[in-house]
Amino acid sequence: MKSFVVAGTAVAAMTLANAPALAWEPTKPVEIVVAAGAGGASDQMARMIQAAIQKHNLMKQPMVVSLKGGASGAEALMYMKSSDSDPNKVLIAYSLIYMLPLSAKIPFNWRELTPVSVIAMDQFVLWDNTTLPYKNVKEFVDAAKASAQPFKMGGTGSKREDHVLTVFMEKKTGAKFAYLPYKSGGEAATQLVGNHTASNVNNPSENLEVWRAGQVRALCVFDKERISYKTKVTDTQSWNDVPTCKEEGLDVQYLMLRAMFLPGKVTPEQTAFYVDLFKKVSETPEYKDYMEKQALKPIFLTGKDMVKFLEEDDKLNSSLMEEAGFVAK
Amino acid sequence: MSSETEIAVEDPTAPAEDSPPVTSTRVVEIAVYLVLVALALLLAFDNWRTGMGWASDGPQAGYFPFYLSVILAGASLYGLGTMFFNPSEGREAFVTRDQLRRVMQVFVPTFLFCLFTQWLGLYVASFVLIAGFMWMVGRIALWKSLLTSFVFSMIMFVTFEIAFDVIMPKGPIEALFGY
Amino acid sequence: MEAFTLLAHGFVVLLTWKTLALMMVGLVLGIFVGVLPGLGGPNGVAILLPLTFTMDPTSAIVMLSCIYWGALFGGAITSILFNIPGEAWSVATTFDGYPMAQQGRAAEALTAAFTSSFIGSLFAVLLITFLAPGIASFALQFGPPEFFSVYLLTFCSFVGLGREAKHKTIISMALGLLLAGVGMDTVSGQLRMTFGFSDLLRGINFLVAVIGLFGISEILLTMEERLALRGHSARISLRVLWNVWKDMPRYWITLLRSSAIGAWLGITPGGAIAASFMGYNLAKRFSKDPESFGKGRIEGVFAPETAAHASGTAALLPMLALGIPGSGTAAILLGGLMVWGLNPGPLLFVEHKDFVWGLIASMYLGNIVGLVLVLTTVPVFAAVLRVPFAAIAPMIVVSCAIGAYAIQNAMFDIWLMLLFGVVGYVFKKIGIPLAPFTLALVLGSRAEDAFRLAMIGAGGDLRVFWSNSLVGSITTLAFILLFWPVISKAVGRVSELLQPAKRTG
Repeated sequence: MKSFVVAGTAVAAMTLANAPALAWEPTKPVEIVVAAGAGGASDQMARMIQAAIQKHNLMKQPMVVSLKGGASGAEALMYMKSSDSDPNKVLIAYSLIYMLPLSAKIPFNWRELTPVSVIAMDQFVLWDNTTLPYKNVKEFVDAAKASAQPFKMGGTGSKREDHVLTVFMEKKTGAKFAYLPYKSGGEAATQLVGNHTASNVNNPSENLEVWRAGQVRALCVFDKERISYKTKVTDTQSWNDVPTCKEEGLDVQYLMLRAMFLPGKVTPEQTAFYVDLFKKVSETPEYKDYMEKQALKPIFLTGKDMVKFLEEDDKLNSSLMEEAGFVAK
Repeated sequence: MSSETEIAVEDPTAPAEDSPPVTSTRVVEIAVYLVLVALALLLAFDNWRTGMGWASDGPQAGYFPFYLSVILAGASLYGLGTMFFNPSEGREAFVTRDQLRRVMQVFVPTFLFCLFTQWLGLYVASFVLIAGFMWMVGRIALWKSLLTSFVFSMIMFVTFEIAFDVIMPKGPIEALFGY
Repeated sequence: MEAFTLLAHGFVVLLTWKTLALMMVGLVLGIFVGVLPGLGGPNGVAILLPLTFTMDPTSAIVMLSCIYWGALFGGAITSILFNIPGEAWSVATTFDGYPMAQQGRAAEALTAAFTSSFIGSLFAVLLITFLAPGIASFALQFGPPEFFSVYLLTFCSFVGLGREAKHKTIISMALGLLLAGVGMDTVSGQLRMTFGFSDLLRGINFLVAVIGLFGISEILLTMEERLALRGHSARISLRVLWNVWKDMPRYWITLLRSSAIGAWLGITPGGAIAASFMGYNLAKRFSKDPESFGKGRIEGVFAPETAAHASGTAALLPMLALGIPGSGTAAILLGGLMVWGLNPGPLLFVEHKDFVWGLIASMYLGNIVGLVLVLTTVPVFAAVLRVPFAAIAPMIVVSCAIGAYAIQNAMFDIWLMLLFGVVGYVFKKIGIPLAPFTLALVLGSRAEDAFRLAMIGAGGDLRVFWSNSLVGSITTLAFILLFWPVISKAVGRVSELLQPAKRTG
């Protein structure tokens, strides 16, 4: 079976210039550890990376996606923590590396792992159902404030990024929301379409298809500036047409990292291999296409830049968690 | 499965005719109820600590598990009661000495297998388990036992490690061959 | 009519030698991963997914879906022969399938399982063909209260009927529900019942428990009873096949009911696992002779297998139409679709007609080819039972360990499996039933989450479970099933009272 795959990718391999010989290379299949369930944003990204590496033959060993979404992703963190000095596991991390240790008292600290690179920043968008009469943030917030029953806000997980955003929306607007924690962003999207919730704060990738189908409305994006992609996604709108929440009078901003980590105690040569690997991945058409389709912010940080970024991001997330009252005593 | 090696043997595990019972069902059942009550109390305590109330927006994290622990404890106590009020119930043998010996013949190797898996990796442990069990318990000729277990372990290794990239626990011997 | 044109178009896309060859390859690989312990449907498909990255989407999905059919067929084999269910929905098949194998009727049980799988899938595919465009809106009606009512219905169909003492059934179910709650509570984000052990963080995986409870404990019991799985030469022949098929029409109600339950629960996102249990329980409940279930009754194989496959097939529909996978395997297929640049969702049916109808056509073809393939290989699988017990027992132990480990790559799970093996052995001997335990472990945390989300949404008002006709009717049905013994007795009493009245009057 393996020879079959190799034969299939050989053509693709020849079109790419061969990489210069590196000091270290994996000798076993590399596990890409996903801290979320199947079909979620992390899983999709892992599969994109897997496909890009295979198509362009960037690595001799195969890459296997290993889903460890148990305990809201804590399973993946503990798994990485217990894999010290094993260079055949890469974690595809997001903000849970800061938040989960705070909210659930999980004995984990991202500084125990080896940072490889930050590969993207993910956006958050406020969505509502198109059958609701609220066309913009102001109408939506006013209706939420006036409603006797709190509006239902869907999201992924409890005391995590979606929940934090909901709390900050409450603080800024004075409206009350009943936050419904679902198991995945996909579930939150479907529940919004089915009108079981009034709104959600999904990542663009999670609501993309229902948006294109005209079932949900993008109210605003939680960033300082609009998303840069100007190609039409729906019949009438591109990502760039979605206003920022600040423009709409809701001053809340949040971006989430998507970064790769190796377990602790790996050698610098091993880290260098992966830095180079993900650098190459970020130059493939698959990656670029994926970034645009899912409205991710391209970014590539590694080494000292990355650590500096992580430290600042950690501080920011901790203070948000503190303010939202989600830090477990 | 390597069903190609078909071996016919006398059944060496035939039961002895009249083996004395080790314990009665009654004793085991009472013991199980006691263990369950203890477990229920432990879990109830943990869930009480987590929070077992009904908040304004529905039950807290410990609500269901707490009441389930209570139900578990209640049902187990009821079971204890039936045992107490029906002294004649469950007098039959739970397991005879001969049966226990045979159960242990599988359980002990299985336990050792788990232990070996931790140290030596799954494939070596499975080779040892299958060969040892066939030879010592099944009284099958040593060469047949060794051959069968070797073939089986190799098939498993090739299928999981090489064909499907499913990573199993491995030990020093696989490491020698670079896996 | 439109469906026919589109389907015909699908067959045109499909009927090339290359696609047919891929189909065969997929089916064989699928049966293989289905039989291998620890692989089963979702893992098998996940592992073989990268094979298809370089293919065009239609070939790729045809191959993958054939792997899926193959794995579904293959899962029944280990359940029947070794009492090791590969997937959650194979658990109910072991209830009667394994006793049949013990009685030397393995070939019969396997034939029954494969045939009823085929019927279940066919029913669901027909449904998909004609309802595909409109069905998405039905699935969308399911919010937390509806989900909970479906789980409640499954639980209620279970309680109230059983040979065992009531308190033992309660113990079994409560224990299962408790263990399902171990780990992180998704609704509050709190950890519970982990006592600081990081191995307990991820919770107790029901497959690990099931492998121990059924697989390992069965080895212990077999050894004790010296039933030694040997000697039953399973001479499959056209006669066995014919006999099973000849008997089938007698069970048409069971088959139809299971198909309908399966298709319904499969379309209901996330409901696929409940289907096989519910199919089995209802067959038992409405049978004239419920006592004979669990002792090797062929109907006990027909019912869960039909439901499982109807739901497994129907589960592909919400995945395609909504992007929500109805089962674990469907979730992996979903990942595959995205890699090929197809985004499942309402627009898939509009933008990628070739792909969607090619897939639906491949469901018909794959199923027929699959049935022929597995039926012709039944003797090979049944022959396994002729190997002496002393050789097969340790091999089953190894297979169980591989299965338990592969699920989460955790050594802890192998120990957990051993523990559940002992628990299963003791429980079976003192008459605590294992089926309620398994059901609770599988559905417990989903049911709890659904209940609590419904409560948050409704501000703690229990009337939400009767808030619309859909959820209201399911909940009411659940309570009717729960009190069925009482109700049927009462109905009998009333008619008894009426009869003499008529005579005297």
